[in-house]
Amino acid sequence: MDQRQMINQYLNTLQRYLARLSPAEATEVIQEIESHIFDLIEQHQANGQTADAAAILQGFGEPRQLAAQYVAHLTTGAPPPRGFKAIVQVKKTVSAALYYSMAVFGFLTSACLLFLAGAKALTPDAVGVWAMAEGNSLTIAFLAEPFPPEQELLGMTLIPLATGLGLALFWLTQRILRVLKQLM
Amino acid sequence: MSTDKQDPAAPEEQLEQKWEIQLRKGTLELVILAALQQRTLYGLELLKLLQTFPSTAITEGTLYPLLDRLKRELLLDAQWVQEGDIRPRKYYRLTVQGQQKLQQLTRVWRQSVQDIEYLLAHPGPDPMPATGV
Repeated sequence: MDQRQMINQYLNTLQRYLARLSPAEATEVIQEIESHIFDLIEQHQANGQTADAAAILQGFGEPRQLAAQYVAHLTTGAPPPRGFKAIVQVKKTVSAALYYSMAVFGFLTSACLLFLAGAKALTPDAVGVWAMAEGNSLTIAFLAEPFPPEQELLGMTLIPLATGLGLALFWLTQRILRVLKQLM
Repeated sequence: MSTDKQDPAAPEEQLEQKWEIQLRKGTLELVILAALQQRTLYGLELLKLLQTFPSTAITEGTLYPLLDRLKRELLLDAQWVQEGDIRPRKYYRLTVQGQQKLQQLTRVWRQSVQDIEYLLAHPGPDPMPATGV
């Protein structure tokens, strides 16, 4: 291969591996190395020696390894494998979505339970838990025309039960959110 | 590279080489900053300067990315200069921060050399003057 061709091929390969740098930065790196190589060749020729492009390029090492050193600062820390960045990104957005939906779901359910307990205390007849369709469905309701109280399942025990569940859920949601926040 | 495989060095020799490589790596930043002390050089000049000393000889593949890093850390300042009709060259020099860093590293280096020299100069079994150990 022609010396010049060999050098151009090296620089082209290097440029490809420098793709993560800004175009201006990559061009500057290439220009500097190009300038170095041709300076050396000229110096060799001025001394009446034949320039050996392969030997000169060997000093720079493999284009991929050389480029890796230039882009290392963009991937500080333990560099994830190629293509991993996208996965990390997805995982991050999932945790953010998970965090907020967890917060909404947890606190809302907790608030509903506390509200239920409060409502039962204020209007005991209108609020209750009933089994319907012969036990195939369970209804927690706030009714204008209540079912007969004797068919209700829990009666006033609904108050401590709903309060306890509501507070427990509130506490649990906080704990889960704290863990999720660390993972975000 | 291939000669290493054909002629494996003795273990002690390998250890010595390894230590030398580590030492060279660790002092490289100081070496570059020291070489650019009150000097403005372009890459090839700097490389040739470093290659004149047995313990500071490095390759292009080590020098250029390091210059890039030192520039990014604002220890060096680089400028493209076109002299006459030859191609432009990128000249490097120390920034104020680079000079401060050089002073700091020089202090550490000299202390280290002084301490090691002291240890080397005072073998046992006589106790060392300073500590009596």
